[in-house]
Amino acid sequence: MDELTSGELKRLGDSRMLMQREWSPCRYHCPVHADVRSYIELAARGRWREAIDVIRERLPFASVCGRVCHHPCEANCRRAGVDEAVAIREVKRFVSEQQGASGATVRRVVQDKAPVAIVGAGPAGMAAALDLALLGYRPTVFEKFAVAGGIPATAIPPYRLPRDVLQQDIDWICAHGVTVVTGVEIGKDKTLADLKSEGFAAIVIATGLALSRTLPIPGANHERVYPVLDFLTAVCSDRAPRIGSDVVVIGGGNVAMDAARTAVRLGATRVRAMCLEAEDEMPAWDWERSEAAEEGVGFIHRRGPTDIVIRDGRIVAVAARKVTRVFDADHRFDPRYDDADVVSVECDTVIMAIGQTADMGFLAGSPLAKDTRGRLTYDSATHQTSDPSIFACGEIVTAPGSVVEACASGQRAAKGVDLFLSGKPIRLADALPPVIGEMAPDTAAKVSKSPRNAVLQRAADERRRDSLPIDANFTADAAMHEAQRCMGCGGGAEVLIDKCAACLTCLRVCPFDIPVVTDVARIESSLCQACGMCIVECPANAIVSRSWDTREEIGNTAARLAGAGAGPKVVAYINGYHAPAAAWGASAEDALPGVLEVWLPSVSRLGVAEMLRAIENGADGIVVVAGYLGGDRYPTVRERMARRVEQLRAMLGEIGMNPERIQLVHCADEGRDAMRRAIVEATGKIAAC
Amino acid sequence: MIVAERKPMDEIVAMLAPHRKVLVLGCGGCVTVCLTGGEKQAELLAGQLRLAARQAGRTLEAAFDCITRQCEREFFDNLTEDPRTYDAVLSIACGAGVQYMSELYPEVPILPGMNTTFLASNVAGGVWEEYCRGCGDCVLAWTGGICPITQCSKSLINGTCGGTNNGKCEVNPEMECGWLRIYERLKALGQLDNYRTLRAARDHRKDRGGGVRRLVLKDMAESQESGNE
Repeated sequence: MDELTSGELKRLGDSRMLMQREWSPCRYHCPVHADVRSYIELAARGRWREAIDVIRERLPFASVCGRVCHHPCEANCRRAGVDEAVAIREVKRFVSEQQGASGATVRRVVQDKAPVAIVGAGPAGMAAALDLALLGYRPTVFEKFAVAGGIPATAIPPYRLPRDVLQQDIDWICAHGVTVVTGVEIGKDKTLADLKSEGFAAIVIATGLALSRTLPIPGANHERVYPVLDFLTAVCSDRAPRIGSDVVVIGGGNVAMDAARTAVRLGATRVRAMCLEAEDEMPAWDWERSEAAEEGVGFIHRRGPTDIVIRDGRIVAVAARKVTRVFDADHRFDPRYDDADVVSVECDTVIMAIGQTADMGFLAGSPLAKDTRGRLTYDSATHQTSDPSIFACGEIVTAPGSVVEACASGQRAAKGVDLFLSGKPIRLADALPPVIGEMAPDTAAKVSKSPRNAVLQRAADERRRDSLPIDANFTADAAMHEAQRCMGCGGGAEVLIDKCAACLTCLRVCPFDIPVVTDVARIESSLCQACGMCIVECPANAIVSRSWDTREEIGNTAARLAGAGAGPKVVAYINGYHAPAAAWGASAEDALPGVLEVWLPSVSRLGVAEMLRAIENGADGIVVVAGYLGGDRYPTVRERMARRVEQLRAMLGEIGMNPERIQLVHCADEGRDAMRRAIVEATGKIAAC
Repeated sequence: MIVAERKPMDEIVAMLAPHRKVLVLGCGGCVTVCLTGGEKQAELLAGQLRLAARQAGRTLEAAFDCITRQCEREFFDNLTEDPRTYDAVLSIACGAGVQYMSELYPEVPILPGMNTTFLASNVAGGVWEEYCRGCGDCVLAWTGGICPITQCSKSLINGTCGGTNNGKCEVNPEMECGWLRIYERLKALGQLDNYRTLRAARDHRKDRGGGVRRLVLKDMAESQESGNE
C-alpha cells in the first residue's frame, strides 16, 4: 500500500477515509461489504442509532441477518487468533432489533426515474429494489406469496427467525419508496410481456430456488412424503401439515435440519435425518446439527433411500442402501452404493430435503433463452438475460447461498439496471481494496484475553416444545461488551511519512512492539492493535488514526462546555471499558452537576493536547477516570496516562494555575457508584483550587 | 543530534509581552527527536501561552506550525502560516534555526523559545546525554572513543588531573572522571601507549576561537548570492 503523506491526507479530507485504503477481513469477506468494524465500534460506545445506520448502509436485511446469517465476518475475525471471534452477528441482532424498522434512518430520494419491476420479494429482489429506489427509480416488487420476504418469510422456521423480526427489514425497505405487490405470480397472473406493456423499463428476475428437489423412487408421491419447501412454507403460514409420529427427513443440509427440528416441534415422537454423508461430511453447519441433536433429532449416516415402503396405503418405512462413498477423489459429489446392504428404516412420514431448484413458471409466454440444462441464460458480468432489459439475480442464477449473498447479488444487478437505463455500457466494478493480513502469533499473544459473551440458549427440552426463538438477544451490556472485544483491525495508526522524524517514540511507547523505524516509522496494519498510544505520543503529530480520534472530542467538548452555562465545569474523561451500557448513555438524571462526562473505550488515546484544550475551552478542571493496573484494555496505558497527567499538571503550574485542577483516579473498573464517588471527591479538590 | 530545552515559561512570557499575535514554530529535526521542539510541543506551547495570557487578563492569539528543518531555506516554503502576518514568531528550533529564520524574515521578530544545550546521543528512552562539543579537532582515535573535551569537566587533553576522587570528578561529584574512563578503556584495548603520549596544546582556532566556522564543499557549493534568489 502507498505510504501516506500529509498532502494525501488533506486530499482525502478525513482521516476516516484511510479505512478505505485497506479493509478489515470482516468487511472484506462480507458479501455486501458492510462496514462491520465501524458499526461494531459504534456499538462498543452504545451509539446504537448510528450503528444501525452503518449496518443498513449496505445490508437491507439487517434484522434477518442478525438471526440467520452464516457470518463470514466472524469466520474471518482476527480476534480468533487471540481467543474467539467477536460475536458480530449477535451484536448486529441486538442493534437492529432494538432499533426496529423506524429506528434506522430512511434516506428518501426523489424517485423521478423509470419504473422497474422485480419478480420475487426475497432478499435478492428486495435488495435490488431498495438500491433502485435509492438511485431514483420506481421499483415494484411482485411476489407470488401473500407475504414479502422470500425464503426467510416462507421457509425459515420461526424458532430461528420470528416473523416480526423479518417485518422490520421489509418495512424499512418499503419506506424508501419500494412498492410490494403480493399474491401476484408472474407467469400465471401476469406475464413478463404484461409487465413490459405496463411500462416497466426493466425487469429483474429474483425468483430464487422455489421448488424442492425430490427423489424418483417408488412411493415418493405418497401424500405423507413432503417436499421440504412445501412442508416449511405450510408451517410458516400457520397451516402446519399433518405429520405422523415417526418422521424421516431425507437430507443432511441446513434445510433438512430446519425440517427435522420443525417436525420435533410439531409433536413427532421420533425424528431422524437420513443422509448420504458421514457426520463430518454433512453440508449442514456444525451448530445446526448439534442443536438438532440436542432437541432429539437422530441421524442415519451413509444411507441412500431406494424405496418408500407403503403398506395398506400408509408409509411404514424407508428402504435405504449403504453408501460406500459420497465424493470422488476430486471431492466432486459422486455417490456410490452397496446394493447388497439395504436396511429398512421405520417411519410414517417422509420429508424430502435434498435441495431446491428454480421454478421457471415465470417464463410462461416469454421468449427468454434457457441453457441446455433448462437454466435461465444470464451474463454474470451484466446480470442481463437474453433480453437486455430483463435482468436476473439471486439464487436462480447463483449457487445456493445465504440471505446476505442474495442481497449482494441483488445490489449488483441494480447497478446493472441503472447503467442500462442510463444508456451506459454495463461495467460492474468488483475490485476491492486489499484486506488486512493475518496477525502474527507473537503479537496475538500480547493482546489481553477477553472471553466471547455467550448468547443464552433455552434448554433443548424446553425449546423443542414450541416455536419461540431458541436463544435470547444480548442485553445492551452484553452487546456493548462484546463489541468492545473488537480489535478495530485496520483502525489503528498510519504514519505521515513527510512529518516523521524517525525519533523512535512510537516504537518506545507501543505496548505491542509493532513499529519499525528505518528512514521513517512504519506501522504494519496487520499487527497494529489500534490502541493509539503512538498517535498521542508522537512529537511530530506524524501519526494519525484511521478510525476514531480523541481529537474529535475536542469539538464536542468545546460545544458542551459552551452550552453548560454558568457555574463550575469539570470535564471527566472516563475509560468506559468496564462500564455498563446505560452509563455510556450519560443520561441527564445520572449526570453529576457541573460535570461533563466524556466516555472513551480506553484512555490510551487521551493526550495532553486534548486535555489542555478542554481547560482552554472553559473547563475549571479535569478528572481522568482510568482503570487500575490491567484495568485498561491495552497494556501500559495506566502508567502512560499517569505521566500525561503529570505533564499537564506541570504545564498548568508553569503558568500559575493550580495543578490540582487535574485529577487522576483509578476506579474505572469498580462500577458506576465508585466512579461517581471518585468524581465527586476529585471535583471537590478542583473546586478548592 | 542537537538537544535544546524549552526556556522557562516566565522568560517566554516576558519575551512575548509586547505582542498580541504570535506563531509558535516547531522544527521537525533534532528537537522533534529529543521531544522538545516538534509540532506537538508547538501545539502544546501555543495552548499554554493562550491560557497564560488569559490568566494575566491579556488576550493573545497564538497559532502553531512546524516545518521539516528550520536550518534550510527550502523548507520554509512548506509553512502553512505566513510569519509576516504575526507580530512575532516564537521558534522552538535550536539557535541555528532561530537565527536562520531571522535572516529569512528580517521584518518579523523571531524569538527563541529554547535554550540550545548540547550535541547528544540517546542513552535511554527520554534521556539524552552530551557526547560531543563540536571542537573541530577530534581526538577520539587515541582516547579509546571517549571524548576528553566533553567527558572531562576541564576538557584536558593530557589527563587525568589531580582532582579525581574515587573515580569521580572534583568539579562535579556526580560525574565520572572522564580521563579515568579513558584510561580503563585504553587499558582494555591494549592501547596504553596512547595514554602515555604527551599531546600538544590544542589549536583553538578550530574551535570557537576563530570566529564563525563554515563548511564549504567545493563540488557542491553554490554562491550564496544565487542561493538567495
